[in-house]
Amino acid sequence: MIFMTNTSEKPTLPAVIANAVSKYFGSLQVLKNVSFTVQPGEVVALLGPSGAGKSTMLRCINHLEKIDGGQVSVHGELIGYQRQGDRLMEMSDKRISEQRTTVGMVFQSFNLFRHMTVLENIITAPMMVHKREKAEAIAQAHALLQKVGLPDKASFYPSQLSGGQQQRVAIARALAMEPEVLLLDEPTSALDPELSHEVIGTIKTLADEGRTMLITTHEMAIARGFSDRVIFMVDGEVAEDVPAKQFFESPQHERSRQFLAQMEN
Amino acid sequence: MTNALNTEGMSLQIVHRRRWGAWLLGAATLIVVSTMILAAVRAQIMDLEVFYRYLFDGQIMRGAFNAVVLGTLALIISAIIGLMLALMRVSGNPILASVSAVYVYFFRGTPMLIQLLFWFNAFPIMFPDLYISIPFTDVVLIDQRMTTVITPFIAALAGLSLAEGAYMSEIIRGGIMAVDDGQRSAARALGMTHNQVLRKIVIPQAGRIIIPASGNQYIMLLKSTSLASAIGYLELLRITTDIYSANFRVVELLAVSAFWYLLMTAFATALQTTLEKLFPQR
Ligand SMILES: Nc1ncnc2c1ncn2[C@@H]1O[C@H](COP(=O)(O)OP(=O)(O)OP(=O)(O)O)[C@@H](O)[C@H]1O
Ligand SMILES: [Mg+2]
Repeated sequence: MIFMTNTSEKPTLPAVIANAVSKYFGSLQVLKNVSFTVQPGEVVALLGPSGAGKSTMLRCINHLEKIDGGQVSVHGELIGYQRQGDRLMEMSDKRISEQRTTVGMVFQSFNLFRHMTVLENIITAPMMVHKREKAEAIAQAHALLQKVGLPDKASFYPSQLSGGQQQRVAIARALAMEPEVLLLDEPTSALDPELSHEVIGTIKTLADEGRTMLITTHEMAIARGFSDRVIFMVDGEVAEDVPAKQFFESPQHERSRQFLAQMEN
Repeated sequence: MTNALNTEGMSLQIVHRRRWGAWLLGAATLIVVSTMILAAVRAQIMDLEVFYRYLFDGQIMRGAFNAVVLGTLALIISAIIGLMLALMRVSGNPILASVSAVYVYFFRGTPMLIQLLFWFNAFPIMFPDLYISIPFTDVVLIDQRMTTVITPFIAALAGLSLAEGAYMSEIIRGGIMAVDDGQRSAARALGMTHNQVLRKIVIPQAGRIIIPASGNQYIMLLKSTSLASAIGYLELLRITTDIYSANFRVVELLAVSAFWYLLMTAFATALQTTLEKLFPQR
């Protein structure tokens, strides 16, 4: 018996639900019953000290890491597993790959394909995975490069771009798959303050468009500037999950206050 | 002050530091080398006329051609074997990984010459008949003595390819592991399947690391074809020794064969350089 949730019937389903997610690396429990919900159009900042499990949590959402307990769903569809009776069976590589197309991801170290030009970086996955026509993919890529402010860099190789430019290409590459949710893992941490600025600008544009985003960051301009909500994690647990304004103005936990004090300087 | 910043707006000529040491060393080396060449010419180490006569001798050239064919085929087959072994090794499947590791240990750990002698001499003793039929029918595909199937060429090709496959697998594995994990994560996150990531991201990037090392292996293989002389394959060295054991022109004939090996090496180097240009490091 197979239960599947039909996403088309309920357009107002939460964009992401993490339900009691737990994850071990060997004997170390990195995520301990993490639960939260991201609504469509929300920008959520996932904050917390180093080693709190933020990156791991993001990677669990598109099944780049396998979870050991709980469930993750995107727009109502269980990620990585399908329910058979009272068990969750891991899906085939092909099915999981299809699911990943609904979740875009941007990495701290950009991870542009270094043997490909900017254009190839953007069109490869749409053509391979979505079977899009080449001309159509190219047109879309140019539109996206325009959007991230790099209309003249299509034929450059990643090594010929600055960090900030690489990160904006990486954002364009993720958007080319037309994901429903965008995960950004420390998108500006590898950049100088000046280069961060342009990337933050690009992310803000996406926020203003109403994109659903989950961002881990140490950047005040993102967390405080335009996030709707803050999820604060410590030691693999969610310590606070509150509107951003509230988190910055009246943090509830001692760890939150320490963290904010560090973040501010 | 002479090293103060020039603020007067005039353009000063820049003079780079001269590398006198490098020039002196170069001159000394030239003197040593030319002395050695002069000494060789005075001592008349070989009869150049005999050298030229055999340089483009038909048999010699056929030997060189056979060596190139053997070496090139062995490189291609060993690259395929190596790719399979490397993928087995990194597959995460413990059985496949250990089979691959044991293969590499055996074929890299025994001398190539022994392996060639094994395929030519020992293998037909162990399996005297080659008999292949389609199961459950009377159709016989092959029914022959092993000694007629395993010619010197087949034994040499098998020996070189299987041994070289072990080296190639290590080179390819190194190339695959050198590809940054972030590249894989990014490709997976875009929805590529495991095989698509391998084909489109990992192998092209690993290729840029693998090509220079493979060029080296090609050169080594071309020279290793001389091992096949031990099992009677008519490659360059075998023909050379056959000729000089009849006419005793040992120096000239060895020089001739060295010339052809150098030519092959130059060809392999040129091929490697071309490939490296086709796939530049980014
Ligand atoms: N592949 C892995 N194998 C083993 N342990 C890991 C692995 N990845 C992460 N960890 C451990 O899991 C814990 C959480 O790591 P994670 O990268 O999710 O933290 P983080 O909150 O993103 O930290 P940071 O702010 O430094 O990026 C850490 O203790 C880390 O050492
Ligand atoms: Mg992290």
